[in-house]
Parts: sequence; structure tokens; C-alpha cells
Amino acid sequence: MFGLGTFEYDSDGFRDCSVTGLRIHRSAEDMVKLFGVTAILALAVGGVFAIFVALTRWELVGLLGPADFYTYLSIHAWNLLIFWMVFMEIAILYVGGPFVLGRKLPLKNVAKAAYALMIGGALVINVSIWLTDQPDQAPLLTSYAPLPSSSWFYLGVVVFLVGALVAAIPFLTTIWKQKREYPRKTLPLVTFGAFVTSIVAAEAIVGGLITYVPTYLWRIGVLAHIDAVWYRQMYWIIGHGSQQINLLAMISIWYFMTHVVGGAEVASEKVSRTAFVLYLFFINMGAAHHLMSDPGVSTAWRVWNTSYAAYGAVVASMIHAFAIPAGLEVGRRKRGEGGGTFGWLWSAPWKDPGFSSTVLSIILFGFLGGTTGVMMGQMQLNMTWHNTLATVGHFHATVALGTTLAFMGLGYYVLRLVFGREWILKPVAMVQPYIYAGAMSIVVLMMMYLGILYGIPRRHPSVTDIPGTDFDFAAAEPLFIIFGIAALLAILGGALFVVAAVGTLLAGGKYDGALPVEAPTAFGGETPVPDGGGDRASPDGGGDTTAPDGGVDATASGGGEAVDTEAADAEGSSPPWYEDAAHHALSMRGTFLMTLVFLGAFVVLWALNWYLLSQLWQVG
Amino acid sequence: MKSPIESPEGDWWSEQVNRRETIWLGISGLWAMTLFGWMAGWTEFGEQNQVGETLEVPTGRYQEKVAAFKESATETDRGLVPPDTDVYVGAMRYAFDGLPAVVETGTEYTFHLGTYDVQHGFSVRQEDTLSKQLSLQMLPGYEWLMPMEFDEPGTYHVVCNEFCGTGHRTMHAKFEVVEDLSAVESGDSDGGESGGESDSAGGDYGGWFTDDASGGEASNYDGSTTDATDSDAVTVTVGPGGEFTFDPPALRVSSGTTVTFDWASDTHNVFVERQPEGANWNGHESIENTGFSFEHTFETPGVYAYYCDPHLSLGMKGVVEVV
Repeated sequence: MFGLGTFEYDSDGFRDCSVTGLRIHRSAEDMVKLFGVTAILALAVGGVFAIFVALTRWELVGLLGPADFYTYLSIHAWNLLIFWMVFMEIAILYVGGPFVLGRKLPLKNVAKAAYALMIGGALVINVSIWLTDQPDQAPLLTSYAPLPSSSWFYLGVVVFLVGALVAAIPFLTTIWKQKREYPRKTLPLVTFGAFVTSIVAAEAIVGGLITYVPTYLWRIGVLAHIDAVWYRQMYWIIGHGSQQINLLAMISIWYFMTHVVGGAEVASEKVSRTAFVLYLFFINMGAAHHLMSDPGVSTAWRVWNTSYAAYGAVVASMIHAFAIPAGLEVGRRKRGEGGGTFGWLWSAPWKDPGFSSTVLSIILFGFLGGTTGVMMGQMQLNMTWHNTLATVGHFHATVALGTTLAFMGLGYYVLRLVFGREWILKPVAMVQPYIYAGAMSIVVLMMMYLGILYGIPRRHPSVTDIPGTDFDFAAAEPLFIIFGIAALLAILGGALFVVAAVGTLLAGGKYDGALPVEAPTAFGGETPVPDGGGDRASPDGGGDTTAPDGGVDATASGGGEAVDTEAADAEGSSPPWYEDAAHHALSMRGTFLMTLVFLGAFVVLWALNWYLLSQLWQVG
Repeated sequence: MKSPIESPEGDWWSEQVNRRETIWLGISGLWAMTLFGWMAGWTEFGEQNQVGETLEVPTGRYQEKVAAFKESATETDRGLVPPDTDVYVGAMRYAFDGLPAVVETGTEYTFHLGTYDVQHGFSVRQEDTLSKQLSLQMLPGYEWLMPMEFDEPGTYHVVCNEFCGTGHRTMHAKFEVVEDLSAVESGDSDGGESGGESDSAGGDYGGWFTDDASGGEASNYDGSTTDATDSDAVTVTVGPGGEFTFDPPALRVSSGTTVTFDWASDTHNVFVERQPEGANWNGHESIENTGFSFEHTFETPGVYAYYCDPHLSLGMKGVVEVV
């Protein structure tokens, strides 16, 4: 595909990945490249439009007038929230299915047709937004009926959604074939995560078709009336559902990348899989938080969906928030990479952009994105968040920090492991995740402050000068200055990723298949600290031991086999007692302390939000 | 080795879970129950719950209800004083009908929230404390009855925070909360707020089409006046093609000419800003939709400046000059 890859395949079309040990077929790899590169192009387009949006909202610059602002904002939203995400998610499905299971991609022509529909739909959407003319309005992300947009826009959305639905068929067929062939074998955790993602995605996309087909018919005059309440309820199945796909894909990547780059193992299969099942049942109802301040749904409906449903998903997220760092902790402790409480963390490969992007994604998604999602999902708090810039802050924390960083991290490894190219501009790649994450965190915090403390509305090209009145929001100007500068830096951080990625694709040398910085491999020489799990009395704090120099032995050169513990046996090194030790016996105290800090921040934020609400006049 | 990209072996379901992970699971469950319990409890003991009755009311009917409210309310120069405890707000592109209003502290009012056209937002904040703010959704076809009671007097600003078109940012209104309504009502006056700009001289009608006058700049006024002094009947199109303009913006007619105002898009009216002494043109103050028209025969010579009230800030202004 594109002639950009450097790998050779055997006569069956397979090759062995020297890093992950996976057996990869060309059919799957070609499609991963196609969808992945398209995603990065969408990221570049959306990023360019982000410059215009940020420089308009930073009113000192005030780049665009209202009509242009809405056009640019719509293109920014659709390319980043939808095209960058969904194209990448299809690539992730094909990694999580065929790659991980070592299978061909079945129905390759179906995948190609799906791609054609998706790219066609995406182009129609972009062009129709660009050409918006009276009485049509730019759709933004929500295209709230009965405000009309170009009929081509609705048609484009329908085509794109059908394409995304079709693209899942080869993945589901892969799972089907695997289970037919090995009915007793459990799917690997990453595949299981991708499978749950595909189901949540299908629900969202069907919801999207239920929304957009009638809306298209209404716009071209076949249906006389479209009800705003019905539209909002249906729309959010896809509107938020598409972001739940991001969430699940992102979490699958967290498990995948912490393992491949950081040497993480699964702390508990039962717990992690249960969390995915919780998502399956509950997360789509979480979309109800968009309707918390709506007249069209009953109080019972709102409380039901924000309680039973949302908290099922919140608990699932909190489980992953523990399970993923814990997997990293036990994986690294087991191999003697860092003792003490946090030694396993300090010794991690922080200079590897694949690792740093992933860990920054986990931390920032949790602290900034997850907590704020819970705030606005509380029915009463929602009044103070609804349609303010704080909402925009929330979804930039989840999508622009969490998901985008995770996808960037995966992107770095797609370049190495799928295209077989070593990164060029390594120093740039090394600092890029930190620049992007740092600047975007400031952007997100400013948006939240502006929304909650100043009540700045979202979707306004200007708020410090409202025509026709003396009232304005000029008091918020200092925060807008910080916002504007940080936004430009964040866009620069994103641009550096595109430069490093495209540069590597075109000019990167052959990746020689050496193990990545931290291959999951044999143990270090020291005894890891056993946890006081179960009834055993051994204290946690005992014997903080640090492995000498990482302790990676000759097994490393064993390439693909290195991931297998049997390889260590074959080397003849007598395995210490803990090699087969269950993970529950290894200490997770570093993770536990970090999650307690997280919980503390969560509680404080929550209490502050309720305090602000209690200061309001009486409502209801 | 327990890799997330390999199938787990054996009976993984029965494997013991780490003690700390188990504790975290318990904490997460308790926290989720706390979140829910607090929210459910707040509906009982909290003062801020966006809970109110919803009626299904077609947009045209809701417009009539707001018009009836305006009719029955007492007009003061600070806004409408509602006859009882019901306040009607009708949102339209790009104004809030029914506002400004004046209400008093310590009384529970019912705010009726609805729209005449597309989706809007009712986002309210106190003028001097911007963090005291909340947002409620307004949907066409639905009337939401939201009880509210204020303890702090002051000006409360309303902005639309649901995207409703290119003029969205101009959509602003306010209401006042006072401690004693009777003081407001006794200061009753019905004078239009036509302070300033008494000079109707000059080719640009005293700058009426610029944003130096009230409202925004008229986008379709190029400095020229359409001369129709030899016609007996002339038509002005109100909102042609969905644009927020009068076409032609400036019209010169002879005394005795009948001018017809023809609505080509929705939610406009004709408000008279100023007119020659002795003339008594009322314009057409109620808000009308496509297809509506009215006419007026202009007799008194001079300059009649008028505008569309919902779209004044977008520069929807016009002039009829009678010679």
C-alpha cells in the first residue's frame, strides 16, 4: 500500500513482527495503513482550521467574522471529532482483530468499499459546509433541527455513517471465524476491547442513521416537520456515542501500548473484562447528560439515565484507571525494573513518544476529562455547565487530550511496526507529546474557568463586544489571552506530530526490528516486592529492591519469542519463585497511591461545583 | 506472562484479585453511590433543580401567548411588569420577546420558556457576579414552565447559548429584580426611549444606518436612496432571502404614496424609531412571518426611520423619506 512500507511478506502473505511477536497478514496491514494515513490527513485539516477558530475566540486577534467563524468551526469539529477519530478507530479494529489474532482480513473488498463510502461522505460533508449559503447555516457538530443546513451535508453524513458501519463487518467476521476455529479459546484482552468497541460503535451509528435519514428527508421537503425534542434525543445517540467509541478504542490502546512499549501485563483479566462489559451495557445511556437541561425529557428519565446508567460507566472507567497503571506496575516489578513505591514509573521509557503519549493520555483524560464529564452529568450541576465554554473544555480534555494523545502514541508505533520505518527528527518526536499535552491542558483549563466562572457561552465568535448592548464578558479577557497563546502552542504541538509522522513515512529509514525501549522480556535479577495480598502477612514495605541495569538478558535478541516466558526457561536461567506468581501477589501500592490522589482531586472538584451551584437563586 | 494481546490460559475468571485492586473497586462503587445519592437528595432538599412542567405548544400559538402576556403586563421604562407571577419569554432569531421584564425579590415566578423558530438557549447571569449563571434549553413546539425565585436584586442578563444562526452572538436581553415593584410601577411612563439624534438632516439620515445609532450597521445601505417619487404604490420587502434587511433600505416617495411592507422571511416587525412631528405612523409592532404584509399611506413630509426589533443589532433598519 502506497509503497511506503519496508516489510517483506512470506508466500502466504504473512510476516512476523519482531517486537510484538504478532503474525500479521498483508491484507490487514494494507487497510490499517490506508485508514491510518487518512486519519492523519483529517487531523492536519482539522488542525489548520483550529488555528482560525482559536484566533477568533481570542478576541484580541478576532480573525473571523460570524459567518466565517461558524463555517470554520464546523469543519474543525467534523474533521477532528469525527473523521480523525473514526478513520483511526477502523484502523484500530483491524489491529485489534486480524493483527492480534494472526489472521487475514476477510472480505477485503468490503473494507475497500467501506473506505470509499467514508472518504466520499467526508468530502461531501466538508465541501457542503464550505459552501454554506443563506438560508442554510453551518451545521457545527450538532446540526440541530429545525435550523437548516445544506441538504448535501445530511446526505454526506448518511453516506459516511453507512461506510463506517460496513467497515466493521470485516472485523466482526474475523472474530466470528476465530471463535468458529477455536471455540474454547478466550479472546485476548485487546481484541475483546476492540470487540466491545465495535458493538458500541454499531449502536451509535445506527442511532446516527435513525437521526440523519429523516432529517435529510425533512431538508429536501419529503417530511413536513421535524421535532426538536426527537432530534436531540436521537442525535445524541451518535453525537455522544461516537465519542464513546473513542473512549473504548482509547482504552484498548492503553492496554496495547503500555504492554508493547512499557512492558505492562494484565493485572486481572476478570476485572478488566468486567469493566468492558459494564461499558457495553451502560455507556450509551451516558449520552443522556446532553439532555439534562432540556424541557423535552421527564425528570425521571433524566435521573434514571444519570444514575443507574452513567455510574455503571463511571465505575468501569475508574476500574480501568486502576487496572492499566497497575498492569504497568506489576509488569515492570516482575522484571525488576524499578523497586520502591514508584521506581517502576521513574525507570519507564519517558523519552519514547509512544510511551509518553500513552501515559499522558491516561493521566490527563482521567483528571481533566473524566472528572468533568461526571460533573456535567449530574442533573443539577448540568445547568451551570450546559452550553458554556466549560463543556468545550470537557470534550477537549477527553478527545483532544485523551484520545488524540493515545492515537498519536499508537501512530508512532504504526510508523515503526506497520510501515517499518524508523522515526526521523527523533528529538522532535521525543518532546512533541509533552508540548502538545502541556499546552492543550492549559487550553482546557482556561475553557473550563471561562465557562464556569464567567459563564462564557460556547459557539460565539465574540463575547467581549455584544452588538446592541452595553453588557459584555470583557472581564474574562485575561483568561482569553492565556487561552489564545496556549492554543497556538497546542496547535504547534499537533503540527509537530504531523511533520514527524509524514516525514517518517516519506523519508524514515528502515526500522530494523530491534526491541523497543522496554520489551516485555525476562526478569531482572532481584526479587520483586510481594504484596501482602490475601492472608499472607508479608509487609508491603519490605525490601525495596531495584534491579541492576534493567536486567534484560540475551533473550532480547530472540526477537518475537522474547514475549514468551518459555524463552526465559530455554535460556536455562532458573526462574525464581515469582515467575509464575500470580499478579495479585505483586505489589500495586504505587498505583493505589496515585488513584487515591486522583480520587481526592475528583472529590474536591465535585464539592466546588456543588458549592457554586448552591450560590444561585432558587430554580424549580 | 499475562499479555493483553494473547489469549489468557486456564481459568482466568477464578484468579484472585489483588487486595488493593479490590479495595479500589469498593471505593469506586461507594463513590458512584455517593454521587447518585447526593443528586437524588438534592431534588428533595436542594434549591436548584431544573424541574418544571412541559407543554406541547405549536410555535404560532406560543407567539400568541407571549403577545397576550405583553398586552396584560404593565409597561414601564425599565421593562414589563407581569400582571401576576407568570413571565413569558419567546426566543426568536435574534431576540427574546417578552423581555425586558421587572420582577421582585422573594416571590416565586414561573418563567415560560419557548421559541418561535429554532432551538435557543436561556442563559442567565447576574450582572455583577458572572459566575452566578445557569442555562436552560428552549425548543420550538415546547413551552417549559420553570419556577424561579430571586433573593438578590439587580440586573440579570440573558444570552442565547444555543447556536441559532449567524446573528447568534447578538441575541441578548435582560430582566431586573427589584425589592419593591410598586416603586417601579408608580414611575410609570410610556415614552419611547428616543433620546439623542434629533437631527434628521443630512443625506445619511443622521447616521441612522451606521452603528453609531442604536443597533448594528445596515449591510445593504450604500449611501443611495431609491427614488420612487413618481409612483403611487411602492413595496418594501422585509427580510428578503432570509437576510436581515429591508429592501430598499432607504426609499424616497411623494406625499400620499402607499407603501406596502411585504414579509419574505420569519419573525420580523416594523418599529418606528422616529418620524416627523404630526405624523402618527405606528409601524407594525407584533412579530410576523413570511406572507404577512401591511400598508401605510405616508402624508406628512419628512424622514421616517424604522427598524425590525428582533434584528436591530444586525442592522435591520430602514428609512422612508416623504417629500
